[in-house]
Amino acid sequence: MTALFANEHDLTTDIDISSLKFWSQPFEVREQAFAKLRKDHPVSWHAPMEDLDHSPEDHGERGYWAVVRAEDISYVSSHHELFSSQLGFTSLHPLMSEFRAPAAFLDMDPPQHTEYRRLISAFFTPKAVTRLVDKIDLRAGQIVDDVVGAGSIDFVDRVSSRLPMLTVADLLGIPESQMEEFREHGDRLFALQDPDAADTFEERMAISASAFGFYAELGMELIADRRRKPQEDLMSHLANGTVDGKPLEETDILMIMLLFSTAGNDTTKQTTSWTVKAFAENPDQRDWLLQDFDGRIGGAIEEFVRYATPVMQFARTATQDTELGGQRILAGDKVGIFYCSGNRDERLFEAPDRFDLSRERNPHLAFGGGGVHYCLGNGVAKAQLRALFRNILTKLPNLEVGEPTPLVGDFINGIKHLPVNVG
Amino acid sequence: MAEQLIVVDRGRCTGLGICESIDPDRFEVEDDGSLLLHQERVAEADRALAERAVGSCPAAALTIQEGTPA
Repeated sequence: MTALFANEHDLTTDIDISSLKFWSQPFEVREQAFAKLRKDHPVSWHAPMEDLDHSPEDHGERGYWAVVRAEDISYVSSHHELFSSQLGFTSLHPLMSEFRAPAAFLDMDPPQHTEYRRLISAFFTPKAVTRLVDKIDLRAGQIVDDVVGAGSIDFVDRVSSRLPMLTVADLLGIPESQMEEFREHGDRLFALQDPDAADTFEERMAISASAFGFYAELGMELIADRRRKPQEDLMSHLANGTVDGKPLEETDILMIMLLFSTAGNDTTKQTTSWTVKAFAENPDQRDWLLQDFDGRIGGAIEEFVRYATPVMQFARTATQDTELGGQRILAGDKVGIFYCSGNRDERLFEAPDRFDLSRERNPHLAFGGGGVHYCLGNGVAKAQLRALFRNILTKLPNLEVGEPTPLVGDFINGIKHLPVNVG
Repeated sequence: MAEQLIVVDRGRCTGLGICESIDPDRFEVEDDGSLLLHQERVAEADRALAERAVGSCPAAALTIQEGTPA
């Protein structure tokens, strides 16, 4: 077998997109580097993403190919036989060998991926999303009602961070009594790469591990309970479901639960925060949407997610030697597909930096570049954004937005805190 | 006589249901993720909507082709 991420390549550009310094800059500044790459270096070789604690000698990865044009990202994304999610998993950020574990079916290829997707498909069809909508509308209404007249608040804490985890919890079937704890632990799963979480590796590791521990314990209890008394929720379905005729292992179920708790969290949360900020900067867009909310919100949501691009990249591993963008990619090379760059690709979008809800076509890559890994929860996310913004735009008409505190990192395009005055 | 027909590539379809969210009268994803095609023929009046649904498939599993209905 080809060794993973072990091939040496010469740098093909001196543009840096791997250092913590680079990722500490605002999105617009980083986008200038991606714009240069899109123009002159559509596929380029880079040093591994800089880690807070570990050097390249520690993790042993040599680097990655950055794919930055929308068309090429879609090509990589839809050719899973050439660019595998299973071989080296999908973390572009280098991982120490002790943390290299597959994130359920996110890190699988067909045919295995197909079996798992078939198992849970029923919970994400348009009809299933419709069944969730009443609960989503109710919770969105409560969340926004809670802050009406509250004056100065952190919008992330009080609004953006609430609905996504509650919706994941509703979907899984988490008991109401454990809902808040389930929600709060969601943000701690990624503490390992968050310099603000704690100063030392050991402290950040402990935060992350306690969150994993919480989900594992809750998950095991729920699996046992749902095997005794199956209900209509996703945990019952997983606890009693089969893949290839065999029941799922408990660890498999826990990994799926964790995948939903991460994939369903920051995505919608960050899109909500970025969109509130974008509306404050573009009041004309807000007025335009409110002129015909029901008729325009569908297209508007596509622009919310394009503009926010909450997940900035994922990785694939080349299964064989292949050519892309004038470069020779070798089997075992890590390939990063940068949705944040594809979503600003001037070949695909007119005035890509503009927040423009009236775009006729919006073939953005915020749910992925197409193919088998396209975001399973896209319908659930859209239902949440629709409910949240219906409430936010009507109940908080005088929202004043201050300066955001960014989340520093190469994976999630995040806002940690967003001071607002809701009046 | 040849007509405009929706063709589903079952090997590519992942059952996400983006097509159903755009054109629910024509497309329906069942609980096991398989796609039901309620209407194969694309009448001229429905063409724009059908094209939008077909063009939105992230798995590129849908096409409109000229043919004779099954």
